[in-house]
Amino acid sequence: MKTEMPLSKPIRRLVKQTEDMLDTQISLLRQPDAEPGGTLVDVYTYDMEKNVNVIIFPAQYIGLLKDFIIAKHCTSLLIKGAAYKKSKYRVLSYTEDSVARAMRQIYIDALKDEAKKENKLPVDKLIQMLFILFTQFNDDMNEIPWNAMMNASVYHRMPKIRKTQLYHVMKESKNDMDEMMEQESIVPRRYFVLDKALFYARDMFLAKTLPADELMPVLNIPQMKKFNHLEVKEMLTTRWTHTAWYQSKVFGDNMVEIVDKHLDKVEWNTPPTLDHYLELYNLGVNLSNHLLSFMTMKDWFIWEEPKHLLQAHQRKGEYEKLALKKIFGDLLGESWGDT
Amino acid sequence: MTTKEVVEILKKGMAYAQRTKFREAMAYYNKALTLDPKCPEGWYLRASALIETGKPEEALADCNRALALNQNYSDAWSKKGLALFNLERFEDAVVAATRASTLNGNDATAWYIKGVCLDELGRSDEAQEAYGKSLELEIIMDMDAERKKVRRS
Repeated sequence: MKTEMPLSKPIRRLVKQTEDMLDTQISLLRQPDAEPGGTLVDVYTYDMEKNVNVIIFPAQYIGLLKDFIIAKHCTSLLIKGAAYKKSKYRVLSYTEDSVARAMRQIYIDALKDEAKKENKLPVDKLIQMLFILFTQFNDDMNEIPWNAMMNASVYHRMPKIRKTQLYHVMKESKNDMDEMMEQESIVPRRYFVLDKALFYARDMFLAKTLPADELMPVLNIPQMKKFNHLEVKEMLTTRWTHTAWYQSKVFGDNMVEIVDKHLDKVEWNTPPTLDHYLELYNLGVNLSNHLLSFMTMKDWFIWEEPKHLLQAHQRKGEYEKLALKKIFGDLLGESWGDT
Repeated sequence: MTTKEVVEILKKGMAYAQRTKFREAMAYYNKALTLDPKCPEGWYLRASALIETGKPEEALADCNRALALNQNYSDAWSKKGLALFNLERFEDAVVAATRASTLNGNDATAWYIKGVCLDELGRSDEAQEAYGKSLELEIIMDMDAERKKVRRS
């Protein structure tokens, strides 16, 4: 690591340990317009000329806020690196066929939903939404289960930055919630519920792990507040049971059980060896698979090398077009989606 | 007294420094200091660029020049703390960072450097206190920035 910026002692130790364990280098980069949660550009995902991983964080983070971002991405790097070195590092990618299967499923669900709606979504918007929703689940599934694990690991290994972590996690959670609000009337109910349930499960797990009441979804999402301490009889008899938010809670509670089942057994304070991080990787893969099964999305994605996913992203326009052709035949015309 | 021309030159240098173009920034700072060697801001800004380019000893010298011109220049004390930290002179860095945070209690960097150096010296409890203050200030700044972003959008 070469940096002119000050770093707290536990973070310097973690960076050095990560470099030594993975036989790689880490470079820290401040950027004014970086993502609030930072970005990791790693040698296991991207073709890099040198064996140097880059952790990018917002320039205005000068102290512990920056330290937490570094800790989180070092943990991510250790999980990826352990998988790469001791087994195979894979991510959730997609193919032309899997995109078609997913989009067809979303389309059928969207049609069912639209039939019940008073304000129907224009057809072109509905069709555009199919692939957008698919890629959102791809992004979320490559992020959320790992995010929960990274946070749990940092919490147990870096007690001195727990307050900072809590701030970051709460901010991230709040931003995710804000994004949700805009989507409720557009996204088919089933997918709105499942996506919110994923975030709900992550927050419930973190609220328990950190532990922080402020992260409890039933406390911090206004629409969910009414479901806190609700009695079973009330739950079954009120119109709330029909709301997307109530359903998100029900699905979310089931997902929390899945997350707990996988992560409750982890000994987070075990010596930080490559084997430990490989175990975390394997748990992450299993957890993702279970969540996908629960959401009946198992055949939407395939586990592939990161390069496969990058190539799939490059060809996504083509995949979308081919999928639409499979679903609608010639109904949409050749030029659909070109503009 | 620093002339308007010197201030403008320093601003140009700062604009480059913000985009991490430190070589270009240095050229402007040098020009400003040639015109007005009694400008503490010029020495301070050049010290900042020198630290970023891995020259803590030269940065320390520039901080001392700035402080010779203005003993109560809190940013220069803060930067001096950082230069001393990079030179692994932790005791001296604590002194400089403490002076900075006394002059400007809202300097998150000074509190953070103080925390890091105290940690290095094994004074863990004092370090935690300094870290706590630094975090508090960073969070306030971050929340302000978020609010501004929301207002703009």
